[in-house]
Amino acid sequence: MLCRGGSSGRGRIRPPRRQLATQPGSNKNDFEQFWAKLREALHDIHTHNAGNLSFEQLYRYAYKIVLMKSGAQLYDRVTEFEGKWFAEQVMPPMSALITKNLVSITLDGAPGISVVERRSLGEKFLKFVRTCWENHNMAMNMNADILMYLDRGFGEEHRRPPIYATTIGLFRDNILRRNLGATGSNYEVFDILNATIIDQINMEREGDVIDKALLRSCVSMLEGLFETDAEVESERLYLTTFEPYFLRTSHDFYRVECERLLREANASSWLRQTQRRLEEEGARCQTTISPLSEQKIASVVDEELIMKHLDEFLQLEGSGIRAMIDNDRLEDLRILFSLVLRVDDKVTSLRNALSLRVMELGNEIEQNLNNTDFSVAPDTGAGEPAGDGEKTKPKTLNAAAQLTAAAIKWVDDVLQLKDKFDQLWVACFDRKAVIETALTRSFSTFINRFDRASEYVSLFIDDNLKRGLRGKTEAEVDIVLDKAITLLKHLGEKDKFESYYQKHLARRLLHGKSESQEVEQEMISRMKRELGNNFTQKFEGMFRDMNTSRETTDQYRNHVRGLGELEESQIDLNISVLAGNNWPREIMGRATGLLSDTKTKATYPPEIQRLQKSFFEFYTKNRNGRVLTWLGGAGTADVKCIFPKVPGKASGPLSKDRRYEINVSTYGMIVLMLFNTTKNDEWLSFEDIEAATNIPQPDLINVLTSLSVIKQFRVLLKESQTKSAAKPGDRFTFNAEFVSKAIKIKIPSVNAANRVENDEERQKTDEKNLETRKHVTDSVIVRIMKQRKELTHTQLVNEVIQVLSTRFKPEMSLIKGQIESLISRDYLERDELPDGSPADKYKYVA
Amino acid sequence: MAESNVPVPSKYVTLASGDGYEFVVLREAVLVSPAIKGMLDPKSQFSEARTGRCYFEEINGVVLEKVVEYCQYWYKYKESVNVPDMDVPVELCLELLQAADFLGLDRKAFLP
Repeated sequence: MLCRGGSSGRGRIRPPRRQLATQPGSNKNDFEQFWAKLREALHDIHTHNAGNLSFEQLYRYAYKIVLMKSGAQLYDRVTEFEGKWFAEQVMPPMSALITKNLVSITLDGAPGISVVERRSLGEKFLKFVRTCWENHNMAMNMNADILMYLDRGFGEEHRRPPIYATTIGLFRDNILRRNLGATGSNYEVFDILNATIIDQINMEREGDVIDKALLRSCVSMLEGLFETDAEVESERLYLTTFEPYFLRTSHDFYRVECERLLREANASSWLRQTQRRLEEEGARCQTTISPLSEQKIASVVDEELIMKHLDEFLQLEGSGIRAMIDNDRLEDLRILFSLVLRVDDKVTSLRNALSLRVMELGNEIEQNLNNTDFSVAPDTGAGEPAGDGEKTKPKTLNAAAQLTAAAIKWVDDVLQLKDKFDQLWVACFDRKAVIETALTRSFSTFINRFDRASEYVSLFIDDNLKRGLRGKTEAEVDIVLDKAITLLKHLGEKDKFESYYQKHLARRLLHGKSESQEVEQEMISRMKRELGNNFTQKFEGMFRDMNTSRETTDQYRNHVRGLGELEESQIDLNISVLAGNNWPREIMGRATGLLSDTKTKATYPPEIQRLQKSFFEFYTKNRNGRVLTWLGGAGTADVKCIFPKVPGKASGPLSKDRRYEINVSTYGMIVLMLFNTTKNDEWLSFEDIEAATNIPQPDLINVLTSLSVIKQFRVLLKESQTKSAAKPGDRFTFNAEFVSKAIKIKIPSVNAANRVENDEERQKTDEKNLETRKHVTDSVIVRIMKQRKELTHTQLVNEVIQVLSTRFKPEMSLIKGQIESLISRDYLERDELPDGSPADKYKYVA
Repeated sequence: MAESNVPVPSKYVTLASGDGYEFVVLREAVLVSPAIKGMLDPKSQFSEARTGRCYFEEINGVVLEKVVEYCQYWYKYKESVNVPDMDVPVELCLELLQAADFLGLDRKAFLP
């Protein structure tokens, strides 16, 4: 501090008027005099009589005492005075309030006292504490003001805490920490205070109304007091004493509550109660106790009410997560999600429970499918895709249709399930990514566990593209396509799907069954987007073939017209030239694997043979060296038939000639042409027909059945006349009495769809698939090795799996087998260690 | 506590010197001194707060005038930068230092 009075100054500087320090004699005297005034003032302040006191005077007394270097004395006297004040004025009424009753209620939890009584006892005590505190705080503020110079002139120099901190701390030492030995217990007032506050809070938790403001002021007192007069921020009494106690008792409270809820076994009420408790505790921190505790009390609730018994609540029968999902209890799920998210950012429990449920429901779909009888057209429940198609045929469905129905049901069910969970995800789970991942994974798992998934998805698309899209708006079509793509994304064995789709697409294209070229293209382009160019190459090739074929057909027509040899009997040819690689093998007549097997080469009638020759000449004119194979099973023919009038019939349709245009498969045409040369009533046996046409037996059975069994299309008569399929040993004749209202008749090819394979076929498909996979695997291994030259076994296997996983999930045995096979074929070699033993490493053999 | 019966305090207060000079000053300006602020604290209700008049027995008019000038100076420039210096007569500086110490003006004022 600057020289107070000491320096003599230079020239004109006026010295301060009078210096106290210059009168040492009166020092002691003055101090007592000043202190007497100050003590009186302190007393007046406590009794609210400060109105007549002059602040300036009191301040000046303190100022002078400090200048007299008697600050320490003043400091101690003030402290002493306040301590005495507590002992004499505050403690007696306080002790009177802390009755044995209060102690035993709050600390010992003595029973037998009504809540009302407990509350009023507690409130009375708290109110008294509050009043004491407020008075004291007020008085100490005033003290600190008039003793301001004490802090500045003495306290700071001597490193004493501010007089305010010291005197306010007296409240802690003289009141809160006062041992209650007098009442026969070993408690401090503080214990009683804490316990009373907690007791009040617990009352509120139980639904009673309490005086929140009262609690708040008691708590803010604790916030304003510190463990020591140094007033370290982290040593607020609230934090050091009250809060731990509060959290501990809250743990107890909620542990009991959670156990009760668990006994009640209602997850729904547990969710709501927990949510309510969290809100309550949050609000309580704001209004009743301190916001400082908000996080901490929330984590107490999180721990006791959520974490500890989460799995048990999830598994509750009738209200657990299963019931929530099954009964669409969105609200429950929403709360559940928000609660689980509080305790676990990865929501593991919820995720696992959801996954499990998805798989269970997925299995149910599969079981339902096995238990459902598709032999009768479903009239309810199976959904609309089956609805309009099947209504016209209320009779029993054939095997293929049954399987289509099953496929559609399966797809619908799976999509419904997916929709449901997607909705839950949006509505309840806040679109949380980890949940989506878990859902997707579990969907993929159960879809791929179902071995017909690939086939069913393809069938679903097939069915929709054939007839499901009729009369649908663009948006609706879009939805169907989306559905298909959604499922497709989940399929693990995409190569399998590819081959099914190829087959189904081929049939649609060749038989002209596709509803809309545009939608077909859209489907392909979506697949391309999802699965890449490679995947759709073959499909696009098929479309290309169809387009080129149309052009070729036109060119050929022009060519024929140019030749000028138009005859009455000229046959109109509509040809599809299919490039071998793009189309499924079954269609290409290579099902048996014998490419040029004569057995599969049907004998065409001479008219047709002429036509074939003519086209072949035309076609090879520009394309030298190409081979065309005629696929009788894949085409159709329009045959104009004349049914002569039946003798003896005078009226009705049978009395005149009837002309019909019959659309049959190419094989069907061959069979019909055979009957051109027979006499009326001449019967041909199955074997005769087979020998004359050389049509493969299964195809022949299909053709003959379609022509002779269904009533509206019975162009041929069969003997024996049963409804079963044609078989070797039957005889057939031309049905002279055939009548139809329509002129153009399309003979439905029985089993033509061949929509779903029987078991044997499926086995074959699988075998073929495996064969293809082997080739694919080979090529992938070689490609990798060619690039890397050298790799360890594990590295190689990992890379192969990575590359293949877009197409299918390769099995280890497959990869290992192919590596062995490539080694034996000298594409790879096993590296050798110096001692000649084989190393775990492969080398590429260039 | 006693706040309810306190009328809205006047915008001005009176500072009186030991030798009988009185200065009427803007209340906000004199609050720069923590000591005067304590005197005028409406919560405490000391006589200064009730009357709006602070009597400084041991400060004379000349010095108090300078104190008042400083209060105004502080009030005027409290939110400015590049403040001009206040003129302090050399012969008053010791007495002023003493008064400043008494009134708690010797440290950085915190804005009310």
